[in-house]
Amino acid sequence: MNVVFKNVSKHFGVINALNDVSFEIKSGDFVFLVGPSGAGKSSILKLVLHQYHPSSGHIYLDGEDIFLHHKSIVDKLRRNIGVIFQDYQLIADKTIEENIALALDINGVPASEIPARVEKVINQVNLNSRRHLFPSQLSGGELQRSALARALAVEPKLILADEPTGNLDPENSWMLIKLLTDINSQNGTTIIMTTHNMDIIQSLNKRIIAVKNGAIATDSQPVVVDIVKVEKTKFKKKLKRK
Amino acid sequence: MNPTQNAWHHIRRSPIQSLVAVLVMTISFLSLNLFVIVSNGMSDVLKYFETKPEITIFLKDGLDKTTVENLQQELTSYPGIREIKFISKDKALSLYKEQNKNNPILTEMVTASILPASFEVSVSNPTVLEQISQNFSAKKDQVDEIIYQKDIIKSLLNWTDIIRKVGIISVSVSTLITFLIISVIIGMKITNRKEEISISRLLGASNFYVKKPFLIEGIIYGLTGGFVGALSAFGLSQFFAKSINHFFSPITFISTNISFYIYLLGLSLALGSMIGFLASWLGAKRYIKF
Ligand SMILES: Nc1ncnc2c1ncn2[C@@H]1O[C@H](COP(=O)(O)OP(=O)(O)OP(=O)(O)O)[C@@H](O)[C@H]1O
Ligand SMILES: [Mg+2]
Repeated sequence: MNVVFKNVSKHFGVINALNDVSFEIKSGDFVFLVGPSGAGKSSILKLVLHQYHPSSGHIYLDGEDIFLHHKSIVDKLRRNIGVIFQDYQLIADKTIEENIALALDINGVPASEIPARVEKVINQVNLNSRRHLFPSQLSGGELQRSALARALAVEPKLILADEPTGNLDPENSWMLIKLLTDINSQNGTTIIMTTHNMDIIQSLNKRIIAVKNGAIATDSQPVVVDIVKVEKTKFKKKLKRK
Repeated sequence: MNPTQNAWHHIRRSPIQSLVAVLVMTISFLSLNLFVIVSNGMSDVLKYFETKPEITIFLKDGLDKTTVENLQQELTSYPGIREIKFISKDKALSLYKEQNKNNPILTEMVTASILPASFEVSVSNPTVLEQISQNFSAKKDQVDEIIYQKDIIKSLLNWTDIIRKVGIISVSVSTLITFLIISVIIGMKITNRKEEISISRLLGASNFYVKKPFLIEGIIYGLTGGFVGALSAFGLSQFFAKSINHFFSPITFISTNISFYIYLLGLSLALGSMIGFLASWLGAKRYIKF
């Protein structure tokens, strides 16, 4: 899914969360959104999801200005977006399994196919033993993986991952990164991920959009790099973790 | 989880609210059904009197046989007479005893001399009754009282009218209250599930998708209330049917026609699901805006 911001500003009363932000993310891209806390990263993702309305400017998803359209178009777009919310947004009185199943049901997946698809993503994120638990019974990392599982389950065209490794240990962080990069390369799923994790950013060599004080500070395309060098640093890092 | 299971889930999650919803629905439909049953009886009574033009002429005491025979002769001369029944004092007593056989004290006290003899005249053309009534009420020394069906019908109509008005008003008020209560209860349930609804919306659920379980819940309340209400009205009316119908005999005031009750049940179910649906739709419309 192609995402375009054109002179987007977002104010909350006197707070200027975003000021005149413009960028284009092409379908199939994997982009990091970085920046200090309060810079406006989550706001950008929420604007993409239509959770927030821009105060001014335009946002295009696959060339369509979603804010001009009827609500049902927004619903349809949202069904094509998998989101890992910074605060997870899991339903408290549904089990992890039920939370994932709900997302599939909303996406119109036939009831007969839902169990198998839930099973698949739950295994992908290593939560098989926690599937019957409620969100309040899970650790932060487990919640984050549940949110990841739900986002993956619907096989979206765009994944918005808001600080998805915030609560994960290194092993699970890399598991998540592997899942996301695989989906990105195999299915061409567009991925926008906010993170403070410099390890991940450096080892992945993706486009990085840096946000600061509600504006884009830098927008760096992935450098064409020496594969050998990258592999060397990766190897060193892995050694370090062991 | 399909929407019906989801609705069922919601119902069980807040059992007290659900119970209240079903209870008000049931009361509403009980009163509606009873009202229809009574109205139906009233209109049967009316029909009975309307289709049987009759006049009862009560005679003064102590008339001799020839006077009575002359009166009967005179009655026969009117056109369109269907039947003239003379009820003697003794006959009147046996009728009275039959009517009050459960009350031995009364039958002991009353003797043939207290009860008046009478003519029961039925005609095929009601206008003749008018003439008979006029002519016979003039015979003040022979005729004690004339009970004219028209008066009965008039007072019956009066009563029917009052019962209808009271019934319609109370049924409408209870329906309105039910409607509001259901819609407030659904509103409360929606407020309880605000988190789930807003998350579902972020996942791309349409407005209708999140509303559907609540609409189904309202329909379930309506169907349950309609069913239980109609069934209890049926039970209640059949329980009293014997004594009430005996009182109104030969008219069957409380219908014993099973298809009438099946019709009532169908009506209650249809109306119940409609009220439940509209009430929850209103509740959902007020609360689901995000
Ligand atoms: N709903 C809201 N109402 C008021 N202010 C808001 C709202 N959402 C965001 N903001 C403000 O906008 C600014 C940007 O917030 P945002 O969540 O986008 O930051 P962020 O870059 O995601 O930070 P972090 O790294 O801590 O998650 C903050 O100052 C925040 O207080
Ligand atoms: Mg954030």
